Amino acid sequence: METVDLARLQFALTAGAHFLFVALTLGLATLVAVVQTWATLTRNPVHQRMTRFWGQLYVINYAMGIATGLVMEFQLGLTWSGLTEFAGNTFGASLAIETLVAFFLESTFLGLWIFGWNKLNRWAHLAAIWVVTLTAYASAFWILVSNGFLQRPVGYELADGVLRLTDFGAMVANPTAQVAFFHVLGGAMVTGGFFMAGVSAYHLRRRTAEQDLFRKSLRIGIGVALPATLFTATFGGLGFETLQPAKAAVWSGDAARAAAAQAELAAAHGPGDYLPPAGWVQAGAMTMLIAFAVMFFFSGLSAVLMLIRPAVRGLRVWHWLLTLMIPVPFVAMLGGWVFREMGRQPWAVYGLLTTAEAMSPLTPTQMRVSLAAFVTVFAALIVTTYALLARAARRGPDAVTLGDRPIDAPSTEPALSL
Amino acid sequence: MEIFVLAFFALGYLVLGGADIGVGMALPYLGRGADERREVIAAIAPFFLGNEVWLVATAGVLAGLFPELEAELLSGNVAVVVPLLLSWVVRDMGLWLRGRLPGIRWRGFWDGAVVAGSWGLALSLGVLLSDVLLGLHGPVALVPALLVAVVFGAHGLAFATLRLRGELRRRAAVLSGGSGEARTYALTAAALVAIGVLAGLRLPLTAGPTAALLTPVILVVTPLLVAAQAWVWWIFRHRVTGPSYL
Repeated sequence: METVDLARLQFALTAGAHFLFVALTLGLATLVAVVQTWATLTRNPVHQRMTRFWGQLYVINYAMGIATGLVMEFQLGLTWSGLTEFAGNTFGASLAIETLVAFFLESTFLGLWIFGWNKLNRWAHLAAIWVVTLTAYASAFWILVSNGFLQRPVGYELADGVLRLTDFGAMVANPTAQVAFFHVLGGAMVTGGFFMAGVSAYHLRRRTAEQDLFRKSLRIGIGVALPATLFTATFGGLGFETLQPAKAAVWSGDAARAAAAQAELAAAHGPGDYLPPAGWVQAGAMTMLIAFAVMFFFSGLSAVLMLIRPAVRGLRVWHWLLTLMIPVPFVAMLGGWVFREMGRQPWAVYGLLTTAEAMSPLTPTQMRVSLAAFVTVFAALIVTTYALLARAARRGPDAVTLGDRPIDAPSTEPALSL
Repeated sequence: MEIFVLAFFALGYLVLGGADIGVGMALPYLGRGADERREVIAAIAPFFLGNEVWLVATAGVLAGLFPELEAELLSGNVAVVVPLLLSWVVRDMGLWLRGRLPGIRWRGFWDGAVVAGSWGLALSLGVLLSDVLLGLHGPVALVPALLVAVVFGAHGLAFATLRLRGELRRRAAVLSGGSGEARTYALTAAALVAIGVLAGLRLPLTAGPTAALLTPVILVVTPLLVAAQAWVWWIFRHRVTGPSYL
């Protein structure tokens, strides 16, 4: 492989891993926030236990989202300095806003929520999870504004060989960013919904303790998964309207259209191969569409079954299938993302900067060592995290340590003694 | 003004994040068994998430206001930035994972990850700073880097003295002597700020054209960010009385 391919692989694996964790983070945060709101309003012990159980799974998952996310942020400057130098004045603005307005607060309040359990006033504690959830949305929004710019640059001018932002509003209003934001947000809710339903179904099938808690959770999960699947598909459909011509042509499989797109780009940018890899683009899209069909059918069926009390209590085939469905939204997310990002190739900034030009001047050895190091560490941590997530999900609410005692209770000793 | 924005977040990271890095470095000294180490970690637990975002924010400020410098600083120092990131990930995951399973070996392993990651972070930050400050590359840069790491370690001990009680606090106070804990913390913080300022003065700091748009936004939100963090500091202002969630 060439150095640029190694750099792409490294970024793709980091971003792909990040995407897996943040999809669940975003969906589960919303569900936890809603459940905690109910628990705070009613002081119902079942909902309080629900908050802690799903909150614990959320926190286990969240840690890897941070780890992969911060590496990704730095990889932009590390391996894609050509991109940063050329277009940093444009999409760097939304990256900066993301870190400061969204992630900074998200992380600060997450710490407050986790460690402030039984320490903060319950309304303040509830406010903390809502701040975490809403800033997570904001984070996704600003990241997709950056991504949308790379997919379909708007509101810029090219001067002295670099881009400058001329219309911030146009960059934010970019339909490629807006549509993707709602699509990803919906996808995260699908992921969270199926996850909650699948884990609950496991406990219902095994007839573990807390049947009431998991019946409630199952209904919430399915109740979210079905509308979220439709919502996501709607914005996915709109997204097809904003495809770049070359991506659309390759996806259609129509050789004449692809040749026309290639000829048009070659006329504008000089000789070269301007078509994205057809295999990846089509496989990504097909994976996403098949997964959508499965999820749509299954969440529709489940929405009916969850209204039938005996089915919720004892239809074990259905429980078993619901648990098996947990990975499907993740597969769909990755498929859609491969479609979107592979379809952008060979461009880093569509029509303006190629991926090869975007790469930092790194040696093949530097790139190989870096790739090997990140892959090794991340692979080990991802496997560990998923094993722990599965373990915590199986063990149920009794084994939850999140919020199980007053943490770090105040002492009478003053902290500062000058 | 852009330079002050960058300095604010970078120096904020050195002082706040430096404290949890230093505690991680001193973990084997401060906590002699798994339970003691858990209590030491409780000293930084509520803060480390809020501390490390100062470095993420620094990267964000670089990306938005100084994209050329960002590209140069990061891609020009691959051999340092990659270990820095890996150390950061290993340290964080050590903190998150150590309490997830009960076994003594499991805890020992992830405590080791916290220590290794913290040292890795301190040393790679040290190499990066000495590269900027002194223009040193390669193995020779490890000498000033080690000095920087020692400052991080001392800063961590000072922070631990302010947060811990009893025997753990006595161990952490090894450097403070009779001179007062807060004063030691102020001193180590000042040393980190001085290193950061001196390094910053040697960077080519010319803000990009997006500054006109971004700087006002940053100036408006920054008080809000500081207020949110101040709330966390206030909530967890008391000394640690037992293990935390981690």
